[in-house]
Amino acid sequence: MTADHLTPEALHRLVEPHRVHRRIYTDPEIFELEQTRVFAASWSYVAHESEIPAPGDFTTTKVGGRPVVVTRDGAGAVHALLNRCSHRGALFTLASSGCAKRFTCPYHGWSFANDGRLVSLPFPQNHPVQDGDRSQFDLGRLAVAEYRGFVFATLHPDPEPLEEWLGPATEPFDHIVDRHPGGRLRVLPSPQQLEFDGTWKLAWDNAAAGLHATFAHRSYNVLGSDADIDTVLARDPGRTPMVAKALGHGHMVVDQRPGIPDGPWSTMRAVPFREPLVEELVASGAGGDLDLATGSMVNLSLFPNLIFVGNQLLVVEPIAVDRTRLSAHLVLAPDAPAEIDLLRLRVDEDFISFGTPDDLDMFERVQQGLAIPEMEWIDVSRGLRDGPDVPAADGVVTGPITSEAPQRGYLARYRDLLTTEVITRVR
Amino acid sequence: MSLTSRDVTARYDELAELVVDVERRGPGDVALVAEAATLVAHEARLLAARRYDEWLAGWSDDAVLWVPMVPTHPAADQSLLLDDRRRLAERVRWRAEPSAWGQQPPSRTTRVVGSVEAWRSGDRVIVRSGLVLHEHRRARAQLLVGHQIHEFVDEASRCRTKILLLPQLSLGIRNPSFLL
Repeated sequence: MTADHLTPEALHRLVEPHRVHRRIYTDPEIFELEQTRVFAASWSYVAHESEIPAPGDFTTTKVGGRPVVVTRDGAGAVHALLNRCSHRGALFTLASSGCAKRFTCPYHGWSFANDGRLVSLPFPQNHPVQDGDRSQFDLGRLAVAEYRGFVFATLHPDPEPLEEWLGPATEPFDHIVDRHPGGRLRVLPSPQQLEFDGTWKLAWDNAAAGLHATFAHRSYNVLGSDADIDTVLARDPGRTPMVAKALGHGHMVVDQRPGIPDGPWSTMRAVPFREPLVEELVASGAGGDLDLATGSMVNLSLFPNLIFVGNQLLVVEPIAVDRTRLSAHLVLAPDAPAEIDLLRLRVDEDFISFGTPDDLDMFERVQQGLAIPEMEWIDVSRGLRDGPDVPAADGVVTGPITSEAPQRGYLARYRDLLTTEVITRVR
Repeated sequence: MSLTSRDVTARYDELAELVVDVERRGPGDVALVAEAATLVAHEARLLAARRYDEWLAGWSDDAVLWVPMVPTHPAADQSLLLDDRRRLAERVRWRAEPSAWGQQPPSRTTRVVGSVEAWRSGDRVIVRSGLVLHEHRRARAQLLVGHQIHEFVDEASRCRTKILLLPQLSLGIRNPSFLL
């Protein structure tokens, strides 16, 4: 029986159009429900094709806290498998990535093909599997689907098609992929890993919050003005033509392009070793490619675990109600001039040095403030003064970057998922 | 004289090779260790005391501070940071900014340096040392343990290269803005 405070009706009351209740940020029981209903039952980003380019390649991740191995089998098909031996439950691999035709569990020697099939077990003659259907001992499989080289997986029993789930998010998604020559991206192997003492929703609240750039990122903008650079975050949020959108399904985008007529590169301070790379690029007639060295200025967030920011894939991993890991994977443009990737490597370190620390501090301040029980509600009403959010025909709500429409959009999706009792399962 | 892109990749190669080279070396030069340990301890003390202007003055013009996620090659994988002298100065500038919320109030750090080994390499001195780095800020603490490689040059023993090798980075750490 579900406790009274965890019924769909009770949970539904925690997210209102104008405000949300502190419990969704602080309640460990709600966190446990989220791991299944919000993360495992939704499509989650699990890998990029460039991390598993060849047959046998695999990489590991988590989906709603469940350890997952993403593999490419001998025929080139991609699988997302639960990292749990079907015999006694041991993790069968501890590697973060690698190449293997088979995974053999080190505990009792059960062996699985990289498509999840049980292929052998020692001394099978006294095990009932000898006479029965072996497939019942295959590894647990998640449903997988790909879009533009990005692999998503889910444990939902009947997931909606990935492209329907993406919906209008495909337009900014395509822009981010297509700005790379040949549409080719390469994700580097060792992401920057940061943790903060707060709920994963703080990262989500922040990803499309146009207003915080003026205040939380004042120090970043001061470095810019010292260097005579008008950083993208220094624009007057009340006047800029940049837009924030709720794309449906909880997806959000902040499109900064309309606010930076001189292009992305014009917003970047000098990064280490920039001068010779830029000079040679310009001398070779490829100076126009410099915008590729920095981010797309289209900050797309695919709910619940992937945020495109700069040239990074920021993967949001909930660890506990008050602990979150952010893995920042740098994306290179392998078919662009070599100078672009050399610049990207150093651009990558800029915001994590002078911007992200200030975000992390705000996240922890919020989590600590929300521990106060007498103040129950969090305001999300900015942009509603002239009436409710009005979606266009495609379902997209567009506002100025000072609008909290994107946050309202993800919270509405969150509420739908949190209040839907779903039996997640392997296939 | 201005750099070329070949100089940039050569400097990156040099960083990657330095990590490999130091691990392969035999025991250090006993006669050098006392001087080397003094240089490394002095740097640690300047950082702990947040005497950043003096700290910055101790770097050569072609300085590099490299903090890799995994020490392979600076052009082949992500780093937490790879700074030239200009960005080191920016870090000092950023710390002084009252709105650098991630370092206001600032981290307090304690650095314990040990197992110092040193080798002379032409007119340079290469130093490898163990590092225990304790940070606390806003009532929370974290402990990073690893080692560091310094390359000192010229008569003033200015630092041309420092590489911080902290395996915990790939496990995930909290707000890293105290790292130098």
